[in-house]
Amino acid sequence: MLKSASQAHFGYLVDQLPQAIAFFNKQRKLIYASSKWISDFKFERHDVFGKSIFQLFGKQGKNWDDALKQCLQGNPEPRHIKRQFDDSKSEKWFEWTFKPWYDEKENIKGIIIQTTNVTEQVAQQHHYDNLKMLLAEQSKLAKIGTWHYCAIQDKLTWCEMTAQIHEVPEGFTLEPDAATNFFKQGYDRNTMARLLEDALKSGTPWNEKLKLITHKGNEKWVITTGKPVFKDDKFVGLAGSCQDIDFQVREQVKSLENEKLLRTLIDNLPQHIFIKNLQSQKILANKAEVEFCGFSDESELIGKSDFEIFDKETAEQAREDDLQIIKTLQPSIDKEYLNICVNDKKSSILTSKIPLVGDDGEAFGIVGIRMDITHLKQKEADLNSLINVTSEQNKKLINFAHIVSHNLRSHSANFSMLLDFLVNEKNAEERENIINMLVEASDNLLETLENLNEVVKINTNTSLVKKPVVLREAAVKVKQNLSAFLQNNNAKVINRISDKINVPVIPAYLESILMNLLTNGIKYKDPSRDPVIELRAMKIQDNTVLSISDNGIGIDMDKYGDKLFGMYKTFHNNPDARGIGLYITKNQIEAMQGKISVTSEVGKGSTFNIYFNENS
Amino acid sequence: MRILNSICIIDDDPITVFGIKKILSNVVVCQTVSTYGNGKLAIDDIRFNIEKAGQVPQVIFLDINMPVMDGWQFLAEFIKLPIKEKVRINIITSSIDVADKERWEFYKTQSHHMITFNNKPIKKDEIGQITKVA
Repeated sequence: MLKSASQAHFGYLVDQLPQAIAFFNKQRKLIYASSKWISDFKFERHDVFGKSIFQLFGKQGKNWDDALKQCLQGNPEPRHIKRQFDDSKSEKWFEWTFKPWYDEKENIKGIIIQTTNVTEQVAQQHHYDNLKMLLAEQSKLAKIGTWHYCAIQDKLTWCEMTAQIHEVPEGFTLEPDAATNFFKQGYDRNTMARLLEDALKSGTPWNEKLKLITHKGNEKWVITTGKPVFKDDKFVGLAGSCQDIDFQVREQVKSLENEKLLRTLIDNLPQHIFIKNLQSQKILANKAEVEFCGFSDESELIGKSDFEIFDKETAEQAREDDLQIIKTLQPSIDKEYLNICVNDKKSSILTSKIPLVGDDGEAFGIVGIRMDITHLKQKEADLNSLINVTSEQNKKLINFAHIVSHNLRSHSANFSMLLDFLVNEKNAEERENIINMLVEASDNLLETLENLNEVVKINTNTSLVKKPVVLREAAVKVKQNLSAFLQNNNAKVINRISDKINVPVIPAYLESILMNLLTNGIKYKDPSRDPVIELRAMKIQDNTVLSISDNGIGIDMDKYGDKLFGMYKTFHNNPDARGIGLYITKNQIEAMQGKISVTSEVGKGSTFNIYFNENS
Repeated sequence: MRILNSICIIDDDPITVFGIKKILSNVVVCQTVSTYGNGKLAIDDIRFNIEKAGQVPQVIFLDINMPVMDGWQFLAEFIKLPIKEKVRINIITSSIDVADKERWEFYKTQSHHMITFNNKPIKKDEIGQITKVA
């Protein structure tokens, strides 16, 4: 009874313990338990004592059984952490401690189990583990490492990532003073030293992009940060981070280099390159395009449309084509435009426009490449005019070759024929007759050769240069030279040329031309009237035209128009006509890059118009 | 010696006219040999003779390059004349221009007259050949 009373007393004591504690006998049946223990596991007080641990908690696995067994033998295991679910299925964690229960005689009479609710600690531990893992992941991904310098111990510590960034081997001994030596000698190391000094002196934190040379000798871009750490206003060390940004920097440098390369390339292309948006506004233009549009800097051109650069018609045409390209997505290649800038500068432009197509298959802009072919066009025009001149020259040459061949052949045919006669002729009188004819033929040949030579001279003498001559004065001079001839023919020359007209000519040719045309006008006079010749000059489209009109017999233009200026073409039964004068006149005018034309009416007279070329 | 009634020589070169006449005198006997300095004089006279006496030249020696009216212009006018007889027209030229040969080919097809193309100098044998009545 005493025993039972002391047992009850002990039970009452246990019940009040603040810890969760339970006493099990050797049969693992619950003998005593604190209220805390009972409530922790949400048992009912009347329904718990005398029940075995297995009835209370169910089977808990072999380890638990072993631990209980070991404890009863006096070998308690330190601690067990167990997960437990309560009715609401919320997770709870308990720390179990088994202790043998000794009686007064040091005999094991059971097991004392103390439990502690560690749910919160476990949760915190989890949270901490998660954070640690996240940090490690983050540090690995961002390649950010940390470092810490303890001034008291003069010890620098790197985290794993920092060590990895510096590419140091495992177990590397880090001397705090040597840490700055990882930065590249020169700018980077000097900067680091300065930052460190500032931090130590005035507590300034740093954040700088610098290059370091790793233990393995590789150059690397890093962002180093750091700040001094104070404890109770006392400097105790430094802490900071080290981020490997080598890849990013190199990529950035590479992309900058690429951009620069591309820019240099497009800026130095002679072709104009531009990109327009859907509103046909420029969003990119190379140097050539900027200059072509009349600006000095790309920024002035960006955002402008063709309407602000070119005249309305040019801009409208360009916009229409742009819209077509945007709509059809078909590029327009090598289309020729006549671009007129706002400043009235005209250029022939060869433009190719290509749509820029986005991922959605719609155009988002247009790339344009254009080439200023104004100078090419000019050259083409020059070339064409050269071809015309050459083909004209060629025609003249063929004509001349025919003249030469025909005229020389006719003389040689005469020689041949006459000599044949002479050889066979017995009659002395007839022989003399033939010889006279041979002399005549020879004279004719000489004259022909002289004429041909004169023509050749005109066409080949390029050393003669044009000089400005007052046209009126030149005419006056020729008139004076012809005064006797004019008087004999009772001819009148009316000089209506203004004394202000000045033309660049080869003076000797001008004189010869005037002489020839004036004499022609008189030679082919109408016998029924006295010859009157009128000279006039006027400007037509910047070029001077000299007109020489006579009241002579005139020329039937339908019949002879195309032959008038041919060599050895004569049209009148005039014994003086040699068919060389007008041919030479024409050659002389053409040698001065001029032109001659004629209008005439039989019985009324003729007018010769000489067009002087003042451009060349 | 063949005998012909009428021969025309149309050429502005007196030496050629002299030559043709001289050779003719050795190969034919002809009543009238008319010479003209250009095509215009010749066509006017021939037209006049046809109208007045119905006389047509049997053989014509024709130069090409002449003043006022050249050989081709003469030919164009001549083939328009109402002549039933076949007249022999001998073109005598120093021209070796292909264009002249082509024009001769053209005129040959344009009339019933016999038209020949001969280069100077004219030889005695040749004159004999081309002075037969067509």
